[in-house]
Amino acid sequence: MFEKLNELSFVIGVFFIIISLILMAGYFLSPTLHYEINLYTGIGMMVFGIVMVKIKG
Amino acid sequence: MVYFNGINRTIAMRLHLADYLIIFVYFLFVIAVGFIIKKRIKSSNDFLNSNRSIPLWITSIAFISANLGAQEVLGMVASGAKYGIMTVHFYWVGAIFAMVFLGVFMMPFYYGSKARSVPEYLSMRFDEKTRALNAITFAVMTVFSSGISLYALAKLLEVILHWDFDLCIWLAAGIVMVYTFLGGLTSAVYNEVLQFFLIVLGLSPLVIVALHDAGGWSSIQANLQPELTHAWKYMDKAENNPLGVNFMSLIFGLGFVMSFGYWCTDFLVVQRAMIAKNMSEAQRTPIIAAIPKIFMPLIVVLPGIIAIALMQPALQSKGYAIPMDENGGINYTMTLPSMIAHYYPTGLLGVGITALIASFMSGMAGNVTAFNSVFTYDIYQSYFVKNKSDDHYLTVGKLITLFGILFSIATAYIAASFNNINDFLQLVFSFVNGPLFATFLLGMFWKRTTGHGAFWGLMIGTMAAAATHGLTIAEGKGGWIAPLFEIGSGMGQAFIVAAFSWIANFFSTIVVSLCTKPKPDEELRGLVYSLTEKVYAHETKWYLRAGPLGLILLAITIALNIIFF
Repeated sequence: MFEKLNELSFVIGVFFIIISLILMAGYFLSPTLHYEINLYTGIGMMVFGIVMVKIKG
Repeated sequence: MVYFNGINRTIAMRLHLADYLIIFVYFLFVIAVGFIIKKRIKSSNDFLNSNRSIPLWITSIAFISANLGAQEVLGMVASGAKYGIMTVHFYWVGAIFAMVFLGVFMMPFYYGSKARSVPEYLSMRFDEKTRALNAITFAVMTVFSSGISLYALAKLLEVILHWDFDLCIWLAAGIVMVYTFLGGLTSAVYNEVLQFFLIVLGLSPLVIVALHDAGGWSSIQANLQPELTHAWKYMDKAENNPLGVNFMSLIFGLGFVMSFGYWCTDFLVVQRAMIAKNMSEAQRTPIIAAIPKIFMPLIVVLPGIIAIALMQPALQSKGYAIPMDENGGINYTMTLPSMIAHYYPTGLLGVGITALIASFMSGMAGNVTAFNSVFTYDIYQSYFVKNKSDDHYLTVGKLITLFGILFSIATAYIAASFNNINDFLQLVFSFVNGPLFATFLLGMFWKRTTGHGAFWGLMIGTMAAAATHGLTIAEGKGGWIAPLFEIGSGMGQAFIVAAFSWIANFFSTIVVSLCTKPKPDEELRGLVYSLTEKVYAHETKWYLRAGPLGLILLAITIALNIIFF
């Protein structure tokens, strides 16, 4: 796990997964964040984040 | 579709917990990158040059990201609103051709010479005085640019979020200082990649929702005057288009002198290619970087065009308008922040603000890391303290990073005190940068060029730039010697100043070179085209070679120019 931190793609992927979780969790849990654009952007960033985590770079 | 509730929201934004959380996570990651990289830093070469070990995809994205600072993001959106689709000329005329030229023809000399910086290449090719001139002007320019970037960030956050100006300055500078001090160039480059994705993914939703709101591209074309939606059709005469230049000035001034002068000689961007693992990847770095660069107008020009379209009578019901300045004119600089405020709700607003902050920090870190390389290698090691241990230069490199950040902070406060200093510095930078490409072009492709020729060519070119600016006037600027010629726009004036300075440098370098003694051929091997082994076939597969890739990109660029003619 700690070895993966040396891979930039992994770090970037984790960053976008965290941001997407904030947006998506906010959409479902908070009226302040309940906007479709938050949900769709969150899904897009989650997909991008997972791809970056999976690829080796 | 309802994107947000506050249709009458003003430019002042109000962040909520989720927005602050996103900004905090970003700060946490950029600092974490510094700590991760720190353990790899063992020598000055690691700190200042990344030990030439960075993979191609990272060098390529860093190459484009180093140019994706705040001036680029905010400035291009503003230009999109002001000049319409003609702003794409800064990409499809003023970038791609030069990036391909750099990759195919110039990287073999930069990388193959094993120079650690562009000024060091000049010392190998010409002499020490040419190197010193370039290194000193570059160091001064980068540190001032870094300060101006910092000032602009703090000012923007003060205006739109009502954050404290001093706090913004010290917080942003502090974060950049932590990660550049810990991880040097590698840390800055890694964060540039993160910042690139954040800017692209953070601003893409804005383009999609705003374009949808405006009714699509066909609606924009229908509502805007035609000169804002055609890239070339109205370039026949300067007075027919909002840029105020004709196609000849554009192609020579922007497409040749300014574009090649920046992309092929500015160490800030060239440095990203020079840290690639090998020659083949160094050559492909600017070419791979040109792929996203071609499409970058979708992120940074299209929003501006959409913004001005939304202000037309048929679309005013959408409730968006670019804010006005104190004189009642459109404040184009605030186009992007106002669109973020208009279209982004809580959550995504945090992403948008973080993308803006990232663009400023990227610009600042890029300048600081280029500054510390040039200062350490080309000024300190070359002229002050030679032949010390590597540990000594590593320590100096780190101290210079701190000094660069502190000087940037001082510059930011100077910029806050003197309104015109930004304009003045940009002007001086253009005088220095304008003629530079002539020196490199002659130096790399004409072995008869001498050190004296290069030095005096640069001096005369810079003086020609200042004289041209002093004799022409546009939008009330220039003409400080005698306002003999009036030019339609400031942009047109910049192109003409660049063109004259380049021509003056080019011919004076030739004349002085012919009157002075050249270096012998054996000293120029690997530095001049005619005396260097060609490196066409480093890769066996055509799609891994710089030449074929470059040709494909040029074909796409030409096709896009035709499509949006």
